[in-house]
Amino acid sequence: MSEPVIRMENIVKTYYEGKPNELEILHGINLDVHKGEFVSIEGESGSGKSTLMNIIGVLDRQTAGTYYLEGQDVNSMTDEVRSAIRNRRIGFVFQNFNLLPRANALKNVMVPLMYGEKKTKNAKERAMEMLAMVGMEERAGHRPNELSGGQKQRVAIARAMINDPAIILADEPTGALDSKTGHMVMDLFHKLHEEQGKTIVLITHSQELASETQRIVTLLDGNIVADKGGEQ
Amino acid sequence: MLIENIKEAVTSIFSNKMRSLLTMLGIIIGISSVIIITTIGGSIQSTLTATLNSLGGNTVSAYVQAKYPEDDDEEAWATWVYPEMEEEDYVTQEMIDGLIAAYPDEVTGVASQQYLGSGTITDEADSDNYANVNVNGITPEYLDYMKLKIVSGRSLTKEDNVGQKRVCVIADTMAQRYFGDKSPIGEIVSVASSDGSIYDFAVVGVYEYNQALFGRVDTTVAEKDRVTELMIPLQTCFKLQGTEQTGYEYFNLLLTPLADVEQATAHIQSYFDELYANNDNFYIYTYNMQSDMGMINTVLSVITVAVSGIAAISLIVGGVGVMNIMLVSITERTREIGVRMALGAKRRTIKMQFVIEAIVLCLIGGLIGVLIGVGIGALLGMVANTIIQSMYAEYSSYIILSVHPSGQAIALSLFFSMLTGVFFGYYPANKASKMEVIDALRYE
Repeated sequence: MSEPVIRMENIVKTYYEGKPNELEILHGINLDVHKGEFVSIEGESGSGKSTLMNIIGVLDRQTAGTYYLEGQDVNSMTDEVRSAIRNRRIGFVFQNFNLLPRANALKNVMVPLMYGEKKTKNAKERAMEMLAMVGMEERAGHRPNELSGGQKQRVAIARAMINDPAIILADEPTGALDSKTGHMVMDLFHKLHEEQGKTIVLITHSQELASETQRIVTLLDGNIVADKGGEQ
Repeated sequence: MLIENIKEAVTSIFSNKMRSLLTMLGIIIGISSVIIITTIGGSIQSTLTATLNSLGGNTVSAYVQAKYPEDDDEEAWATWVYPEMEEEDYVTQEMIDGLIAAYPDEVTGVASQQYLGSGTITDEADSDNYANVNVNGITPEYLDYMKLKIVSGRSLTKEDNVGQKRVCVIADTMAQRYFGDKSPIGEIVSVASSDGSIYDFAVVGVYEYNQALFGRVDTTVAEKDRVTELMIPLQTCFKLQGTEQTGYEYFNLLLTPLADVEQATAHIQSYFDELYANNDNFYIYTYNMQSDMGMINTVLSVITVAVSGIAAISLIVGGVGVMNIMLVSITERTREIGVRMALGAKRRTIKMQFVIEAIVLCLIGGLIGVLIGVGIGALLGMVANTIIQSMYAEYSSYIILSVHPSGQAIALSLFFSMLTGVFFGYYPANKASKMEVIDALRYE
């Protein structure tokens, strides 16, 4: 079997380290995610799933243990390199969309290209392609406040996809949507997974949503208590 | 990237128009006040410079002056009388030639003029056809010095002067009135002088008359009777006067266009001091218009420095305003900063973005200030010049009005408003770049 995209060995995250209110959130997580998997990390609030997501997304550093993203130990990297990895290898989809309010849909999709190391040729065409993929090409000139929740999330997915990342990390992507548009967004993830073979990590508190995915990792009080449907 | 940043900065500034405008107010006031004052100062300065230059700014004036006894030497003063000028006391053409040879890069010639008298030229065939003239002996360079152009024929030459020839150049207005369509060149004019003598001169050239250079028009006299200036060689004039004099008493030295007037004056003074070292009674006194300008320039530059000080203070106050609003803006946009970082923006990229935003904010303020300053400054400069003109009404025809916003002041103002942006934008931008991405992303 090929090297996993995500390999976590004994990941521990402790807040307020060395202080009286020291708090250990993750108690030694071991997790492998392989290329092309659609994994949901499910758990109630307080289970540590957001903390785990921050570490997977290279937004935060673990206190102990090792995290390899595509075989690289990202904890040892400088802030600059971690920025570059977030830029190129991870596509974020947030619960509250996090689009830039003053930029239109097209500009929003192009933001990761702007922060790339080298100038991207045909940036606009590429961004339009991404918007077309999520069915938003006709709204390219609209600003976020002119879009519905579902449309915003589709723009956010287009943005996540533009640099062809190793994983798409979706944090409660349907949390701010009604069930109908929520389903549309989930269908889009399934499409990306099936048609393009994208590795997708979905963070959710909803067992119903998690049950749609191939593999379900259940987190409880900072430990993985169940891992169903995986390849191993 | 830079262009993207500037675009984003402009978008962000314009999305909060009122706030941005109020933030820029300090900078606008500071910059516009500097531009207003420098424009007024520059306008006054350039008006005076242009006027003085037209009156001979690029020349050094000189005259033969008696050596007075020491101020406190009462004994000497008791018996002192102003000495008679002898032939050897005058400045000769040889001395001038020697001066030109010594400083060929500075001195080009001498302009001197001697009034012979006034008179009337009457047409023998038609006594109704006459012209009133002042007869002036001049050196060949004098026409250049007065910026008078020869429009037909030739100018007076050194040979005319040395040979004490009976030749003259006349004003085009006089030629038009007296000779009509006939060419005056080669005609002989007889000037019946008011003292009874009659002088004949052959006309060799016609110059373009410039009323402003010869004082105000006497409007009480019919145009026909108006006096024009008739120029003859200086040496011819001396001969007709019957004096022993062949040298200059009052004269102007013409300088090359690039000569430093002050330095040339010093050279000329020392040249004549050496020549007159053994003269007991006289020496050569030199001066230039530039030294009169010097005082005005000093006053204007003191004012400019004072205003620049005020501007510096208002830029600092304005800059603190910018810093304050940038800090507010960064707090408001914490989430946005977090998103940008999550999408791969490096800390220095975030820093750059906010520094550029502060610079653009200050630069727009500076530009508005420059526009307001140039507008008001030009207006007030015009008013100031008009006041000068009305104060010296009798010289009004000499005054060349010029309104001049200082390019240097504009460039410097924009540079300093940019610097304000860098200086006061750096701290907020640095603060933004120091944010932790997960905290910024979670900020409500």
